[in-house]
Amino acid sequence: MATEWQPDFEELVDEHQSMVFSLAMRMTGDRGLAEEIAQDVFLELDSNLRRIESPQHARFWLRRVTISRSADALRRRRVRGISLWVRIEENHAVQAEEQSSPLGARLEQLLQTLPEGQRAALVLRYQEDLTPEEIAAALGAPLATVKSHLQRGLKLLRAKAAHDLKEYVRGA
Amino acid sequence: MEPEEIDDFEQQLRLVLEQVPAPPGLKRRVIERRDAQRTARRRRVMWWGRLALTTAVICMLAGGWFWHGIQQRRNGQEARRQVILALRITSRALTQMQLQLAAHNQSVLNRKQDEQE
Repeated sequence: MATEWQPDFEELVDEHQSMVFSLAMRMTGDRGLAEEIAQDVFLELDSNLRRIESPQHARFWLRRVTISRSADALRRRRVRGISLWVRIEENHAVQAEEQSSPLGARLEQLLQTLPEGQRAALVLRYQEDLTPEEIAAALGAPLATVKSHLQRGLKLLRAKAAHDLKEYVRGA
Repeated sequence: MEPEEIDDFEQQLRLVLEQVPAPPGLKRRVIERRDAQRTARRRRVMWWGRLALTTAVICMLAGGWFWHGIQQRRNGQEARRQVILALRITSRALTQMQLQLAAHNQSVLNRKQDEQE
């Protein structure tokens, strides 16, 4: 029988805080909201710690819950009637300063304009380096849907980048 | 973007979407909120515990008081039954005594009449 893994909450926070925060920030496009989501996700982890069976399970659980809570936060924000576009513009200004490459910053801005499902699939694919099967498991979505999200999202992002970044380079 | 750049698009996206460091102090804030939640939960549990204990004590006292009332009523009924029984016995004894006295009086009267005749 394998030795039982004993999760240490503080170690888990240390290990995964960047991942959780990055996922939330890329899903919401808002640093403040992302930090709030990250805190909520870790508090939820604390109350579900007994159910976590392994480090892999913890990582999977955190990804899944972060994406889900980010989607909830976006939905709440839409319901409250706050213009997402205005928020995105504001937050991109902050991100653009943080990015080392202006092209990278612009690409990240364009990612925020994608539909939620496509954005989640792309973030999990390129930030977390997950396979479509793993993304499907993390999102609780059918594999075909995930593949379609990846394909369409990438196509849309390419198209936006081809148009937008060319102008950006010329303008610079 | 030029076509060769678009070929590198996924690679570029991977670079752009690297994990960003969490804001400084995130862990501390999480731990603080967790501790605050635990304290609040502990207080809630204690509050409910006290409420349950108080309710249990009140129920026990009310039950005791109710039981005491029932016992008193039972004792009263028993005493009443015993008094009635004692009264019945006394009444029967008095009746017998009265009969005996009447019989005695009658025999005395009869004897006097016999002596006068």
